[in-house]
Amino acid sequence: MKEEIGDCRGKLEEELRKLVGNIFVPEAKVFGMVCGCVGFAADLRGLQSDDVDVFKEKINAILIELSKSVGVEPEFIYARKLPGSEEVVTLTVRELCERCKREFAGSKASPRPDIVVLKKRR
Amino acid sequence: MQLMIPHPGHFDALKDIIEVKEAEGLNEVGEVFMGGSPEVMGSGRGVLHAPLIEEIKEQTEYAHQHDLKMDIVMNSTCTGAHHLTFEGYKMFMWYFNELNKAGVDGVIVAEPYLVELLRDFPMKTIVSVLSYVESPQRAKFFEDLGADVITVDTNINRHFKVLEGIVKAVNCEIKLIVNEGCLYRCPFRYSHYNLASHLSSLNQPRFPLFAPDFYFDKCINIRLRDPTQILKSAWIRPEDLKDYEAIGITSFKLSGRTKAVNWIIDCMRFYSQRSFKGNLLDILDCPQMLRDMFYMDTEKLEGAIDHWKNCRKVCGECGYCNELTKEALTIIK
Repeated sequence: MKEEIGDCRGKLEEELRKLVGNIFVPEAKVFGMVCGCVGFAADLRGLQSDDVDVFKEKINAILIELSKSVGVEPEFIYARKLPGSEEVVTLTVRELCERCKREFAGSKASPRPDIVVLKKRR
Repeated sequence: MQLMIPHPGHFDALKDIIEVKEAEGLNEVGEVFMGGSPEVMGSGRGVLHAPLIEEIKEQTEYAHQHDLKMDIVMNSTCTGAHHLTFEGYKMFMWYFNELNKAGVDGVIVAEPYLVELLRDFPMKTIVSVLSYVESPQRAKFFEDLGADVITVDTNINRHFKVLEGIVKAVNCEIKLIVNEGCLYRCPFRYSHYNLASHLSSLNQPRFPLFAPDFYFDKCINIRLRDPTQILKSAWIRPEDLKDYEAIGITSFKLSGRTKAVNWIIDCMRFYSQRSFKGNLLDILDCPQMLRDMFYMDTEKLEGAIDHWKNCRKVCGECGYCNELTKEALTIIK
């Protein structure tokens, strides 16, 4: 698993650089939350929400591949912006617990204004 | 009863809130509130959205079409004295004027100077919970400054005699926050909100913080070591709103504008219906994290309000909350 996570970080950075330009991925991690959600998340610098809009399908495809490689089902994919700005600071792929399926991913609107939903499995 | 509902700020969330309110006939919901521009002022919560005036106008018009009032939160507890500079004065007057032109119904402020400035505008001046109004005397001060509504300090949510005194002392509307889970008489409260006010504005610390939310971490640790503090917090169960209406308080506010929109909608539903069964921590804002650690059975809290109404809050001589904690609070395995 250690190698896979490291590879994911490098691959995400490489692919985003091909799409957008100078992107830095300082950290990637697989996480487990107390509610039952598990996921894969990558911290980023250099990406903006316009880039995410334009390359949404390609970014989704990369994240789906990477998350599956670390055993995370890509049920809910989202970008988190720095509040009040267009800077995207995290890309997250999450396998949701029952509560978060309804509470976090169940609204028609994005759950919070700093979150851009990229993919939701219905 | 009138309910004021948190709005995270993005237009789609407002549409979801209104859709549920109308579909389920939640007629008690009369107002929503959202953060203003962090370029003008921070607030007591993290700002996840920075609406420009044009967007505020558009959302306000939409709210009005659905019989909802729109309030803007500007309740920073520290501006670094910017408001007392000529430049600051001009900026606040300009912003209030723009909010007024946008049709905004009320502005929520904590700073007494801004309460006075708002006298020049027809919008309602809503004194924030962060003005810490905890006595009839302080309520009167704020009413004299120009308050139309006072959101009282949650620390006195269970001090019924004081609440009754405030209702009698002023003519303006008295509002209570019902789902705040902060520590009762929290020693960090002023410092924490000052920190949040800076972090949610452009008036940021000059160097990176080594403990970005020191007070929050302390707050969680205190409750883990002493879970009785969870019961002593100032939350009000949906079923107990009637006890406040009996002393003349009919205006209630939900906290939680940084939470997911579906969580907000759930809380709106339970408080409108005055009924919730389950883990009360599920509907408390701040700190939400505790709901994954503890289960507080709301049905076992039935009748506790009758004790708290007359409680002198001398915990060392009483022990009621300690006993209730044993009955109502369990650790989730």
